[in-house]
Amino acid sequence: MVRLTMYKYFQVGKTSLKQEIAYPINFVMWRVRNIIQILLVLFLWDSLISDPRKVLFGYSRDMILTYIFGIMLVRAFVLSSKSMDVAGEVARGELSNYLIRPVNYFFYWLSRDFASKVLNLSFVFVEFSLLFLILRPDFFFQTNIFYIGFFIFSVFIGILIYTLFLFITSSVTFWMPEMGWGAHFLLNVVLVEFLSGVLFPLDILPQAIQKVINFLPLPYLVYFPLQIYLGKQSTYELVRGFVVEIFWLGALALFLNFIWKKGLKVYESQGR
Amino acid sequence: MRRSGIKENINKAVVVSGLVKNFEVLEKGARNIDRIKSLLKPKKKVVTALKGISFSIGKGELVGFIGANGAGKTTTMKILSGLLYPTAGFVQVLGFNPWDRKREFLKRISLVMGQKNQLWWDLPAIDTLELNRAIYEIPHLTFKKVLDELVEILDVKDLLTTPVRKLSLGQRMRFELIAALIHQPEVLFLDEPTIGLDVVGQQAIRDFIYQYNRKFSATVMLTSHNMSDLVDLTKRVIVIDKGEIVFDGKLTDLITNYAKEKIIKIYFSGDVNIGSLEKICKIRRYAYPEAVISVDRSLAAFTAAELLQNFPVADITIEEEGIESIVRRVFRGEAVNG
Repeated sequence: MVRLTMYKYFQVGKTSLKQEIAYPINFVMWRVRNIIQILLVLFLWDSLISDPRKVLFGYSRDMILTYIFGIMLVRAFVLSSKSMDVAGEVARGELSNYLIRPVNYFFYWLSRDFASKVLNLSFVFVEFSLLFLILRPDFFFQTNIFYIGFFIFSVFIGILIYTLFLFITSSVTFWMPEMGWGAHFLLNVVLVEFLSGVLFPLDILPQAIQKVINFLPLPYLVYFPLQIYLGKQSTYELVRGFVVEIFWLGALALFLNFIWKKGLKVYESQGR
Repeated sequence: MRRSGIKENINKAVVVSGLVKNFEVLEKGARNIDRIKSLLKPKKKVVTALKGISFSIGKGELVGFIGANGAGKTTTMKILSGLLYPTAGFVQVLGFNPWDRKREFLKRISLVMGQKNQLWWDLPAIDTLELNRAIYEIPHLTFKKVLDELVEILDVKDLLTTPVRKLSLGQRMRFELIAALIHQPEVLFLDEPTIGLDVVGQQAIRDFIYQYNRKFSATVMLTSHNMSDLVDLTKRVIVIDKGEIVFDGKLTDLITNYAKEKIIKIYFSGDVNIGSLEKICKIRRYAYPEAVISVDRSLAAFTAAELLQNFPVADITIEEEGIESIVRRVFRGEAVNG
């Protein structure tokens, strides 16, 4: 039973991958764009902080470079999601296609998303190795295997939390079909950009604000994983972080379950 | 096949009783100023799409569901397949409450909507079908057997590996049907399955539905605006109008109930004064030497006698109104039991 269910979602991911590489040229252009973006950011920051002894907000040169590079990587994994169009599918009534089949809509998108991320990751690995060999930038390499393990684990939970965010904001379309994009923009773009650590490392904020923010789910999307990688978290901070993060994961999952059930009751399966 | 051999079954596949569905509609107004007002103070209007309908369908039956646009056909089908939450009333399909959308329930039904597609656009149809194999947990051998059979009947074997975007509408629709039937559903809801197809395509789909119903003893509920679909396929029809069932019975009974007029065809042997012909009957078509007229049933014999007496008639036949024109009137929403 479990095996069959696993197989079901494995097949969803596989089909999704086939779809993604159905247009090879698009795919290659997307990778090229990624590399150029990485190069631009790298050169920009490299020249901004050329003095290796300079310390900025408690970050040394190699750590700043690693943080900035890490943001691009973690962000590409956590803050990009295939389930971006759930709101559209609800508003257009395309959700019906899934509801009439024995498949869980949330896990359906999650499988597609993970498949896409695996593809992304394998290419990033190749590109990253090449760039590194050619440019030899000053990077901070975490050698503690536990930190690396916790880093991967926190990215994984971050992906789940962000997907839950997307589904919850998309649920608005059950009641207000035209509001889907607005809700998404407000929550997932504005708030997340500010408070997930994408624009700046959150530890440059005043302590009092940091204390509040640490109890929100947002820093756990990008900032927290990167801090683990950089080894800047004490054991206490690490434990507290994971407790708060996993609490949010559970709370958001329950909330989504609740609101989704309510939404389906008013769902009109439009489009026909 | 596991479901063959069921001829008569007292069990019902579909039971609906006092089913009501209301939709809340936000009134927006036509002018921009009205739309801004509606943002500040939304005005909601409740539209009743189904006003307490009741019917049941036996296992293995093939039933046509007809009515004008907006009569409530699609809404009913969506409730029966678990997409919409009923406002009130009792609904049971194969012993399940559709709204629960239990896995075992979903594995045994299928809903095909002529304008919604589940095929992956950029991939060959076989990929969607393989995905459905996993989703419906169909064993490999069964899958292969059913697939072979379906592509054979619908004659699309060679197109399995062609990307869906390169298929014609008709070919795509056939694969949509295959994708919807690969798990051998016992109950099949078809909403306008032949919409947009050419005559050949329509015929292929129709033959297929007929065969599927026979071969798998599947229960089929069909809506269509295509009269041939109904005339060819269904024995029983349910007519729905403005959310209420106005007729439920044999298609032939619908015709006799509804046919208030008879059609008289006349071949004239000489010149006719159209004006005087028009005085005694309604002319539907006139192209010398043939005229087609319609008269009230009770007056048919009388009118025929009158015609023979006063006009140069070579030949005359009295016929029932054609099935198609009756169904067409039903679609227009004319009262059935008038």
